[in-house]
Amino acid sequence: MDDKKAAILSEIPRLRRYARSLLRDRDSADDLVQDCLERALMRLDNWQTGESPRRWLFTIMHHLFIDQMRKVNRRGEAAILPLEAGEAQAAPADQVETIASREIMDALQAISPDRRAALVMVAIEGFSYAEAANILGVPAGTLMSRIARGREELRGLLDDSARRRSIRIVEK
Amino acid sequence: MTRRDFSERDIHMALDGELPGEERMAYDAWLEANAEMKAKAARYTADRAALRSAFAGVLDEPVPARLRQALLGETSVKATAWRSRWWLSAAAAVVLAVGGLSGYVAGIDGIGKTDNDDDQIAEQAIAAHVIYAAEKRHAVEVPASDKDHLQTWLSNRVGLKLVAPDLASEGFELVGGRLLPAGSQGKAAMLLYEDAKGERISLFVTAESAETAKGTYMAETGGPEAVYWLDKGYACAVVGSLPPERLSAVAKSAYGQLLAGISS
Repeated sequence: MDDKKAAILSEIPRLRRYARSLLRDRDSADDLVQDCLERALMRLDNWQTGESPRRWLFTIMHHLFIDQMRKVNRRGEAAILPLEAGEAQAAPADQVETIASREIMDALQAISPDRRAALVMVAIEGFSYAEAANILGVPAGTLMSRIARGREELRGLLDDSARRRSIRIVEK
Repeated sequence: MTRRDFSERDIHMALDGELPGEERMAYDAWLEANAEMKAKAARYTADRAALRSAFAGVLDEPVPARLRQALLGETSVKATAWRSRWWLSAAAAVVLAVGGLSGYVAGIDGIGKTDNDDDQIAEQAIAAHVIYAAEKRHAVEVPASDKDHLQTWLSNRVGLKLVAPDLASEGFELVGGRLLPAGSQGKAAMLLYEDAKGERISLFVTAESAETAKGTYMAETGGPEAVYWLDKGYACAVVGSLPPERLSAVAKSAYGQLLAGISS
């Protein structure tokens, strides 16, 4: 195994985490990572050895994600609403999720892909604003407003589901 | 040192480590003096911790063999079959929210026939709304004054126990209902509601549904929007041109009552 491939291999866990936060479903997320790895292999010369392949790989994967979301959206505005806790019929079986984790994962899926990507990039993946703006290909101001709106929207959704839960308890 | 005014924007910057170090003390003082912003900062901090912990386990999972193989150049047949399919699940709008792997596979391998049931329901509901909600005198076949008959008649035709939801708390009164075709052979009930300003929304309910999904759909920008739920054996869409929050609130109330009626 050459050095470049070894360096890419060590980034796979982080790529999988980012993909999982974008798509939720484990197999779909791994499909995205696989597409990313294949694209990276074709463009191996674009990456300068000596620097971490992380930003390069995240950029490739983000483009794949956004391109495909646009294709999906062209069919019509199909957004997904968050599920109420009791409605989740087929939560990924491969992972034991606490209710809190499941709620926040569902809420994350319900916010727009652009906001989701910006928020995850900074809040989970720990990129700086400058790095994240660069990877996502947007000005820093746009990135900041996506993060702010994304956080607000996420909190609103979590408040909603907490309210629904308390209403249910009162009704009993 | 120049004092500057802080705002909500600084909460995000502080949380994301983007606040310049020399501003930190002034920021903390501002937060201390501002209970609302302090509470907001605390919620966002907790949300970030929850997000991180929700996805932390992924880093400890072993790298799947198919990804190793893709990188090291030994792509297996199985991996190829899966490749480039991840976005289809997003298109189906099913897997992410509710469908499991089985729904995903059925949607793709079943000649892709079921993967846009949800869109079809939403499109039919929107089409019906566009035609009938615009009718002043002939919007409904059976008026709300004959509600008992309306419910019995539509329940018998559609094959579901239908109870017209009471949306008075959302500001909407029942106008009446009508029977419509749904899918290739099925029937749907349409219930029309109106608020004090004459704004109309419609509920579209059918027993024609083989899958489970939930979402919002807009056939064209600026047109009415549908909030829909699909479950095995029934589907419901609430259509209107309301602000998203209001439509969503009305839809949730309507759906809850419909569901209670159907399963009673």
